Amino acid sequence: MTYKEKLQQANREALAAVIGLGATIIVWALLGFGVAQTGIVVFSTPLWVITGCFGTFVFAVVIAVVMAKFVMHDVGLEDDEEGADNGR
Amino acid sequence: MEGNPLTLIPVLVFLLVTFAVVMGINRRAALRGGNFVSEYFIGNRSLGGFVLAMTTIATYGSVSSFVGGPGQAWQIGWGWVYMSAVQVTALFLLFGILGKKLALISRKIGAVTIIDVLRARYKSDAIANVSAVIILLFFAAMMVAQFVGGAKLFESVTGYSYVIGLLIFGIVVISYTTVGGFRGVAVTDAICGVMMIVGIVILAAGILIAGGGYENIMQTIMAENPAMMDPLSDGNMPIGLYVTQWLLVGVLTFCLPQSVVRCLGFKDEKALKNAMVVGTVIIGLMMICVTALGVLAKGVLPGTLAEYGGSVDNIIPLAIMESLPAWLAGIAIVGPIAASISTVSSLLISASSSIIKDMYMHHCDKRGHEVADTRISTLSRIFTYAVGVLVLVIAIAPPDVIWKINMFAFGGLETAFCWAFVMGLFWKRAHAWGAFASMAGGVVAYCVTMALGFKVFDLHQIVIGASVSLVLMLVFSWLGNRYDRQRGIIDQPDGVFFVA
Repeated sequence: MTYKEKLQQANREALAAVIGLGATIIVWALLGFGVAQTGIVVFSTPLWVITGCFGTFVFAVVIAVVMAKFVMHDVGLEDDEEGADNGR
Repeated sequence: MEGNPLTLIPVLVFLLVTFAVVMGINRRAALRGGNFVSEYFIGNRSLGGFVLAMTTIATYGSVSSFVGGPGQAWQIGWGWVYMSAVQVTALFLLFGILGKKLALISRKIGAVTIIDVLRARYKSDAIANVSAVIILLFFAAMMVAQFVGGAKLFESVTGYSYVIGLLIFGIVVISYTTVGGFRGVAVTDAICGVMMIVGIVILAAGILIAGGGYENIMQTIMAENPAMMDPLSDGNMPIGLYVTQWLLVGVLTFCLPQSVVRCLGFKDEKALKNAMVVGTVIIGLMMICVTALGVLAKGVLPGTLAEYGGSVDNIIPLAIMESLPAWLAGIAIVGPIAASISTVSSLLISASSSIIKDMYMHHCDKRGHEVADTRISTLSRIFTYAVGVLVLVIAIAPPDVIWKINMFAFGGLETAFCWAFVMGLFWKRAHAWGAFASMAGGVVAYCVTMALGFKVFDLHQIVIGASVSLVLMLVFSWLGNRYDRQRGIIDQPDGVFFVA
């Protein structure tokens, strides 16, 4: 893989993280403010507390796992592209 | 109040263990030999996934996560916990956005500090110098705040004096950072991270038992302080505050230099991926749970703020004393003390690298002076120790309200480095002029509006700082590029940050 391709892969990962952030913000708002509208209480706890805090947490963990498994591809960090450039 | 030795013993044991571990690591590192600067300031890029995750979390999680945050939650309620949940994004943003790119670039140019990266990207000593000044200034303030927070907590829980506490853990953290360098800091951070979790679990158990069980506490709050069950807390937690906290403790934290430097230090891509997953799990649980402790502390401390000394920073120390026997209280305060020293150690080694690597060594290089490795190793250690001692001395006469000081520095660093990093790494046309203007101008705008209390739409000044910084980056990059073109300098990718 050339150094250029490695940088492109890094850019894809950065973009995925930003998309993950956007999704997390939306989920956070829905699970917190959204669920708070329902007024449901379980175990003496407003449901929005559970979904807004722990639901958001679980969602962020899912984002991290998806990124690690499907978005981040190993490119080899060590500087070895000179060989690749020369027609390997 | 008399000092209680039972509360002191766990703290001493913890400090001795951390110190011993650093001595052990240092012995092995000395046997391996190799380049001193790379070993001392970045641990020869050898962090594995778990240590990478823990050192990033322990650096980020400070004594204010344990004291100021939960204190606010005690007053405001679940809204504050809901807000703190935004911190779950911190690690996937850091490792996702910057992780791989910085790993590639730092290996290519042999960067040991983040200032090395900025200097190489913008080819500007002025940017390197202004970065170093900003880092030193804010890091010093943050270290003082950490020391103050840790020592205050120590005083109120153990009964020994503030200064004794400060000296005990201050000297230990300064010493092990001086001796162990970045690798020592990272490994002790991992130990500290574990102790932070232990502290949270013990305190949670104590508060739940002392408060008569979870449901009992919640029902009491529901009956007596129903606002605490509302996300907006009857107006105490406005939407605007959520928005700005998202920026301050969520989105922008990935630009904090003490976090970013960790992207230069990991071993391989497996470490990066593991740290992203493990780190997100741990930081999420830690930050949500520790903040929730503040709400639950209402069950142990049901009075008004005035009854508890008028400061939310007193809530957690009081909750520890009210709900735990002395020996357990001693173990519980290891958590916040670990949070304090793990932040100090990381800031200290970074501050020292700014002075030695980014200023002194660069200055010598430029003049063509060859500096011997032994001399650099002596100077690095002297500077690390000296900066630490200076900060410790300042912390003896402490300023007020740690949470605010910490947040001031947080926002300042975010304002300074956010666009310089993001644009520098992902926008080819980001120009040195733009970076310089965005750093200097953004920080000035942020600090001045903070000091004057000037706000736009009643939003925290981070909005002003980050916006001014972005506008300056764009405008001055455009001007800089235009100036270069007029002088016939053509914009060529340098083959490191961007490839044609």
